[in-house]
Amino acid sequence: MKVFVCTSCGRAVFPHRLLCPDCGSSEWREERVEHGVLEAAVEREVRVGAVRTPLGPLAITRIESDAEPGAEVSLDQDGDTPLAR
Amino acid sequence: MTGDRRAARIVAAVETPYTRHPAEGTTTETLLADAFVRVLAGAGLDRADVDGLGVASFTHTPDRAIDLAWKLGVRPRWLMDDGNGGASGIQLLQHAMRAIEAGDATTVVLLSGDHFDGDSFRTLVDNYNRTTAEVLAGIPTGGPNVLFAMLTQQQMEAHGLEREDYGRLVVAQRRWAGLNPGAVYRAPLTLEEYLASPIVAEPLHRLDCVPVVSGADALVVSAAGEGVTVRALRALHNHDGQEGDGLQTGIAEFAGGLWGDADAGPEDMDVVSVYDDYPAMALAQLADLGFVPDGDLGGFLRRRFEDEPLAVNTSGGQLSAGQAGCAGGMHGLVEVVTQLLGRAGERQVESARLAVVTGYGMVLYRYGACANAVVLEAP
Repeated sequence: MKVFVCTSCGRAVFPHRLLCPDCGSSEWREERVEHGVLEAAVEREVRVGAVRTPLGPLAITRIESDAEPGAEVSLDQDGDTPLAR
Repeated sequence: MTGDRRAARIVAAVETPYTRHPAEGTTTETLLADAFVRVLAGAGLDRADVDGLGVASFTHTPDRAIDLAWKLGVRPRWLMDDGNGGASGIQLLQHAMRAIEAGDATTVVLLSGDHFDGDSFRTLVDNYNRTTAEVLAGIPTGGPNVLFAMLTQQQMEAHGLEREDYGRLVVAQRRWAGLNPGAVYRAPLTLEEYLASPIVAEPLHRLDCVPVVSGADALVVSAAGEGVTVRALRALHNHDGQEGDGLQTGIAEFAGGLWGDADAGPEDMDVVSVYDDYPAMALAQLADLGFVPDGDLGGFLRRRFEDEPLAVNTSGGQLSAGQAGCAGGMHGLVEVVTQLLGRAGERQVESARLAVVTGYGMVLYRYGACANAVVLEAP
């Protein structure tokens, strides 16, 4: 999945912000993150989780596996929707 | 300093009967109009006296406060819309009292209400804000329940809480609801029944989630007359940029200032209202306000919701009385003002003089970003 990295100070965010929380810059580059750690998971219509990405942001994702909290998961994206497996 | 800091007082507070199944022909604007007529009657005021109007609603769109002013026949010189959900009631109060202190208005009616039918609730939660529509709706999260399920899991883990700990709060609020003819769920509830209610998203079960209702609330804030006064009001929104654990609200940062301004502390409160979208968040706000100085949330729930109960969410709260969209942000204010005016009927808290009310809400991504609180004093 893609996260947004401030081109001036390197701070990563997800979802997108208008200005960098740290330095105030409005210039972002998209960076792919392929793995993260599942911090929480819950079942509803689908499995939903909170995944800590290595660049810092905690992303809410659909989970398409049986991964339990604490496990490393791979990250992907379906359109704008983050996916973890 | 200009203006009179204690000029504004709340002279009337009403709630239209909340309902799960509104009568045919009910719309958001008919609910808001009903609340307007009732609150003017309650205040003994005439429509021509009103020179300020504030409105909070999700479903009033595309209309705004000015449309309502026109259709109600009001000529305001102070006009405001606020759609900040669970924080909107205190938000409107904050601005209305400053308008009165500054002399911009003398008689302000604040209205808040929502009507849901068919798919309108799902449409609202899937399009709550741009971020939800873009990165949450496709999962699909289907609204905030899954997010607060994860927060509740984390609070349980951090504080060693079990479902029955939250049940104490839910059961206590239902006991209050039994004394409130306006609550949608009034039947007595046991802890066993709470534990057995159908699952929504572990650990949240149906009785941890607010029943969505149609309804409206209203206040009159006035420069004259006998009413409830504001001792202190503080707000802090977006306190952590949605990058914290979500279990501490902006209230924690301003609680010291709030109590300082009020010249009182949690122990002085006769009535308490915290925004109860979920039991975990009601508990978080009580902790943020300073009601749990030793940090033992489980002990606090046992002590203050069973052994020596604190008067918290005396309408039954949104968990039992219902959540009428944005009106959820005014529901607690209306209840507390009703208590402080001594008009709470069977559920009247004896000699209620001081009260605190919180607002919380606007789930931008992971949890609510808005937080405010007000300390109110009886006339």
